[in-house]
Amino acid sequence: MASRALSVWQNRQVVGLLVKRDLKVKYQKSILGYAWSMLEPLAMAGVYFFVFGLIFNTNRGVPGGDDAPGGYLLFLISGLLPWLWFSTALNEAPKALISQAKLITTMKVPREIFPIAVVTRGFVDYLFTWPVLLLFVFALSGRTHLMGLLVWLPLALLVQYAFTLGVTFLLASVNVLVRDVERVVRILNRVLFYASAIIIPSGMVLDSDSFPQWFKVLYELNPLLGIFKMHHAVWYPADAPNAFILGTSIGGAIIALAVGYWTFRRLETSVLKEL
Amino acid sequence: MAEPVIEAENLGIRFAVNRRRKRSLREMFIHGTKRDPNPTGKDFWPLRNVSFSVGQGECVGIVGKNGTGKSTLLKMIAGVLIPDEGRVTVRGKVAPLLELRAGFNDQLTGRENVHLVGSLHGMPPETIEEKFGEIVEFANLREGYIDMPVRHYSSGMKVRLGFALISQLQHPVMLVDEVLAVGDKAFRKKCYEAIGRMLENNRTMVLVSHNEGDLKRFCDRGLYIKDGALALDADIETSLQAYNDDTKAEAEAAKKRAAKRKAAEEKKAAEQQQAAEQEKPADGGEQGGGQAA
Repeated sequence: MASRALSVWQNRQVVGLLVKRDLKVKYQKSILGYAWSMLEPLAMAGVYFFVFGLIFNTNRGVPGGDDAPGGYLLFLISGLLPWLWFSTALNEAPKALISQAKLITTMKVPREIFPIAVVTRGFVDYLFTWPVLLLFVFALSGRTHLMGLLVWLPLALLVQYAFTLGVTFLLASVNVLVRDVERVVRILNRVLFYASAIIIPSGMVLDSDSFPQWFKVLYELNPLLGIFKMHHAVWYPADAPNAFILGTSIGGAIIALAVGYWTFRRLETSVLKEL
Repeated sequence: MAEPVIEAENLGIRFAVNRRRKRSLREMFIHGTKRDPNPTGKDFWPLRNVSFSVGQGECVGIVGKNGTGKSTLLKMIAGVLIPDEGRVTVRGKVAPLLELRAGFNDQLTGRENVHLVGSLHGMPPETIEEKFGEIVEFANLREGYIDMPVRHYSSGMKVRLGFALISQLQHPVMLVDEVLAVGDKAFRKKCYEAIGRMLENNRTMVLVSHNEGDLKRFCDRGLYIKDGALALDADIETSLQAYNDDTKAEAEAAKKRAAKRKAAEEKKAAEQQQAAEQEKPADGGEQGGGQAA
């Protein structure tokens, strides 16, 4: 296990190469190239703002009140950008090994490299969208705070990376043997989007009387909820997760990573035969 | 004696027979293990109990019929398949010439691909830069092609570029799988020279091929794989001889079987003809004539 981690670390430049290759391929064929990285979340934010911000013009439950700096629009953007990271990784996870079959069957590198590359590329893409985020922060006079920048942001990124990687390990290896995973992922993507308080502040569920208690607990048990609450908390201190939600996030990430990696290693032998 | 470079102990790998389709989750949940697509559940061992060791500077050829696990063995040495039994130890980095187009991305240009795949195989960037001209020259690409996306290349061009690149690897162990069978005459000649050069530096090579000329040319030792087991580990001439003898014997056996079958069929046809003649004497002769032809 330790030697395995070491050999992954020794091959970290391979991760870099794969990420660079994928970004190059992604941007090469389109005229707008890098701009797409920002246009896609912008378009999504525009749609959600139109629907939830303008049409259903009711109490949107922005943490800290609707007059909080940044308003609902910044809330949307600050959740959508990291969500795109997770959702691209989730979408590509099932194919992480299959699409690289040629490389895997001819090159001796630790197979972990390929899921890691998928998650890392999503992360790099997310970093590329920061200019958009900052643009909105300045335009909407959003405000951050020390706690947000020094605790919530790094913690959110770390926990999200770990959780996403765990999920990717699991899906990538299982999908080689059982192709249903690709279908499951599409549904999961949609469900998790609405379940993780990305466009609907968690207060709308947790403070509401229309949901039974067990549902709220279930809602809080989603590790992504805490992750996105942390992302929001960078700009909306009132959205900071409580100890329970934070615990499920960190715990969930550790469990996902452990289970994902264990499965990955267990299936490795048969996966290699199938590729 | 120095430590062997490649050491295989009791190597074995198992495949599930008849795994024609993947089981879907639905089947797994509903039927558990009961309705397995491979109900006979017999495992198949393409290779088992294979042990050998290769010393430094040796060139070993692997011979055997199609489907006896030669490539599987090579893949296990390369570390891209994990054996179910035993283990294989390789001391030193491996240059795998298993599938030469592997790793090339169709969207990227030849130049970008050389850098990418070279780095993936552990070539430092300076070396790639330094050898770049040599690689392109060896690959014999037409003017300007190196800066075109690889998807516009012909398959021969891809393979040439792949070989040109991989043959620049300075790794001490080389695994070669039938790649010499591609390319035109001129390119093959160049490949031979390149491989000869590589062997001069006391490097170790394992070669899988059906071409006796290739094998005799490079190898001093031959492993003959028969029915998933190591049948003979001797010098290349002896191994090839054993392989050829077996092939001949098998061909004769096949011929005998075919002859037997033919005899049986003829007998049957004759009986049918007789029966037909007894029933319909009028057109029986014509029918029999058609069958005999």
